[in-house]
Amino acid sequence: MNKIALLARCVPLTTKLGQVVPITIQCQKISRWVAPTLMELKKREDKLGGKKVTPRNTFLEWNLEAELFAFGKRLNEDFDSDLLLEAFTDRSYVIKEEMKQKEMNIDIKVKDNRQLAEEGEKFIKEYIQLYLEAVLPKFPQEGVASIRQHLTSEDILANVSLHLGTKDIILAAEYPVDKFILANAFKAIVGALLQSSGEEKAAHFVRDFVVTQIQGKDVNEYWAIEDPWGMLTGLLAKDNTTVEPRLIGETGKNTLLACYRVGLYVDKKMISSGFGETVATAKEMAAREALKKIFGTEDHMKPINFKLEGIPKRTGHTRHQISAS
Amino acid sequence: MSNKHLFLNSGFVRAPLQNGVGRYVCQLQRIVLKFCKTHGSCRGLRDFIEQDLVDFAKQNPGVVVYLKPRRHRGPVAVAEYLNGDRVWMNLANKTHSEITKWIEVLRTQQGDIASTRLRKYQYTDHPSIQGPWTPFTFKNPELNTAVLPDQKFGANDRLPMSATEQLRLMFEKQKLEEGDVKTAE
Repeated sequence: MNKIALLARCVPLTTKLGQVVPITIQCQKISRWVAPTLMELKKREDKLGGKKVTPRNTFLEWNLEAELFAFGKRLNEDFDSDLLLEAFTDRSYVIKEEMKQKEMNIDIKVKDNRQLAEEGEKFIKEYIQLYLEAVLPKFPQEGVASIRQHLTSEDILANVSLHLGTKDIILAAEYPVDKFILANAFKAIVGALLQSSGEEKAAHFVRDFVVTQIQGKDVNEYWAIEDPWGMLTGLLAKDNTTVEPRLIGETGKNTLLACYRVGLYVDKKMISSGFGETVATAKEMAAREALKKIFGTEDHMKPINFKLEGIPKRTGHTRHQISAS
Repeated sequence: MSNKHLFLNSGFVRAPLQNGVGRYVCQLQRIVLKFCKTHGSCRGLRDFIEQDLVDFAKQNPGVVVYLKPRRHRGPVAVAEYLNGDRVWMNLANKTHSEITKWIEVLRTQQGDIASTRLRKYQYTDHPSIQGPWTPFTFKNPELNTAVLPDQKFGANDRLPMSATEQLRLMFEKQKLEEGDVKTAE
């Protein structure tokens, strides 16, 4: 009797066990075969010599003239169409074309963008220098030069050029084009704009696309100061003031997590403070902080103005001379 | 080897090339509309091409529009963006008004948004405003003028109760209890 009752009790349990219990698992709904298949396809592709790149300009739906027109319109600039085409013609393409023409015994001159790039580069460098001098009036020449160097580096210009859509339009021997060609094309575009629309337009173009790259960045990072303490004392010595470092806090002395805080005082007033794991580092950090204050590039400085109109004039007032000291 | 990248790229909310700090640049650089002249599912796209395409091209001179008629194939829009993204969109059986809206979506987005998994819904270059914390960051300013050693600042406020203190409390408690007994008498 007892056994039957037990069985009867277990029957609903066993049937329940057979049912599918809905378990909610958070996962992407991608079938299990997808990953192995894609891996296999990748393996086969690699075996055949890697991914084959078909340049966009070999597609059926490609119209260079329309692309060049749209390029100017997209950036709100009026380019001279011949100059723009010249700006997009890389040296490697010209060499390849000449070889082809030699084989077919024809001679059509194709101009490359070297001259435009040269002009553009010169203009970009001069303008960025003037612009940075105008927006960072207290920053020393060395610092301005290093920011300018960063902005006109191949990486930055190539990135700008890529994001303006030159990658597909550039006429080059090989695709995908490398960074040098991209940066060169950008310089040439500035050169073309300089010739077709004048200096002011070209200046605004450089301001909007190159100078804005320092937006949200710390300008002090581009200039490595070797000896901040020496520089600070040198600068203050010119004003006949002396700076006095004082230890204003220390914790965890003789431990791994020691922390010192040094304040710099001029006429018994604190100008800055810094911290570090040794007194020397703390002093150096304090000196860096003081230099930032003198140069007007503190962490809480006003955002750099990216709306200056025209080409800023070279200001005559005295800028901190670092190299002299 | 991780296969995650094969399916869905991850990214942050970013504007490409500080877009808008200097000037705004429409990120859609070209759009290819592929359609069939007789296929029924292309009806909406054909209507769009007949009625709206010229206006679209006039209003957006920075976008290169290509039309690619192909026999007996479904309608497709392929949008290419300045950052190199390519968005393929099937427009089969979509009506004229739906296509107008989808093309507007393609025009206003900055890349292949739909196939990016956002790691976060916000992004910042500066996660901290105050800088790194040091033991002196939130120091009580009263300490500046205090004469040390001071009872107030020297008080133990972080270590657990010492054995001496515990014994002292026990002794006090005992004394109180004894007093209670006495009063009860």
